Amino acid sequence: MKSTPHNSKIPCSAPEDSAGDETLRLISSLPAPHGLEDRVHRALRARSDRRGRVLSWPRRLSPQNGWMRTAAAAAIVFVVVGGGWGVYTRVGHYQPSNVIPMPLHMPAAGHFSSAGAMRTPQTLPGPVVVHPLTARAAQAKRSKKPITTLQPMRPAGSGSALKPAAEGGAAK
Amino acid sequence: MSTSQVIYAGWMEIPNSAVNDETRLRAEDTALAVLVDQYAGALYRVAYSVLRNPADAEDAVQETFLRVLRHRHSLGEVRDHRVWLIRIVWNIVLDRKRRAKSRPETDDVEELARVLPSTGLSAEEVASAAQHHARVLACVERLPDKERQVLILSAFEELTSVEIASVLGITESSVRSRLFRARNLMAGLLDHQRSLR
Repeated sequence: MKSTPHNSKIPCSAPEDSAGDETLRLISSLPAPHGLEDRVHRALRARSDRRGRVLSWPRRLSPQNGWMRTAAAAAIVFVVVGGGWGVYTRVGHYQPSNVIPMPLHMPAAGHFSSAGAMRTPQTLPGPVVVHPLTARAAQAKRSKKPITTLQPMRPAGSGSALKPAAEGGAAK
Repeated sequence: MSTSQVIYAGWMEIPNSAVNDETRLRAEDTALAVLVDQYAGALYRVAYSVLRNPADAEDAVQETFLRVLRHRHSLGEVRDHRVWLIRIVWNIVLDRKRRAKSRPETDDVEELARVLPSTGLSAEEVASAAQHHARVLACVERLPDKERQVLILSAFEELTSVEIASVLGITESSVRSRLFRARNLMAGLLDHQRSLR
């Protein structure tokens, strides 16, 4: 490596390969491309402008002015209070009602409407299913109380499937 | 004056610091522009010596100054701007090289022949020199990181060993020992290449 006033402290007694050093020196001394400084200046200016667009106010509207600050504060307060009042008046208050609203039954698309008919659940006492043996025993006890029961299914061909357990109750 | 009055007065009045801030910003911009004019070329050469790609080197220089722009308020605290900037660009190019892990463009002999100065040489001599430089650079790439970094920076005649130590964040004696090892290794690698031919 060439000894210069700048790098005189770097030892030159090392096994020096002049060719290797020469190549690195050539690489390190290549001139910078023309107009590099201008391009860097442009990049810096572009970055500064991008930031300045947010910060730079017209002098009259500068937030440093006292009256402008007051006006801005008043406008913010007005918007916040006005908005709150608008919401308060439009929404209204909740009043509990005694009427329970029934859900609307909307007919499905492509189907017949129910014409307003409501499906009503079967709340009357239905037929009591009692085991035949139990039914006969109960009938024997109560002797004259008619009890309507259903008999279990019989095999096909053996007559009707349902037969009242108590003949007296079934026959009128 | 009560506390609320003080706060109110502080809120309403135009602070003197606003004018000072503007002046300070302008001064910092001017200082930054001077730094660009003064050191952009040197930074480019440092970046190019590692990346060996003109476009990447230029990008690295721009990124360096953009970083400086972000921290321009601390420009006054810097003692040696040149070494400070070289350190920034050095870290940027090492980071880029680590991430890209691509082969430098100038390892191609043709590209080296185009880039390196060749005044007064015939076409054959230019091609031969380019081949030689490519072999040397290939050997440099095979050096360990620490030795390679010192060897590359030592090629910059404007950098003293103290400044190289400052850029790399090591002691001056470490720079010397690493440079010694790097040159030994380079000599061995080049001898090995010569024996193969």
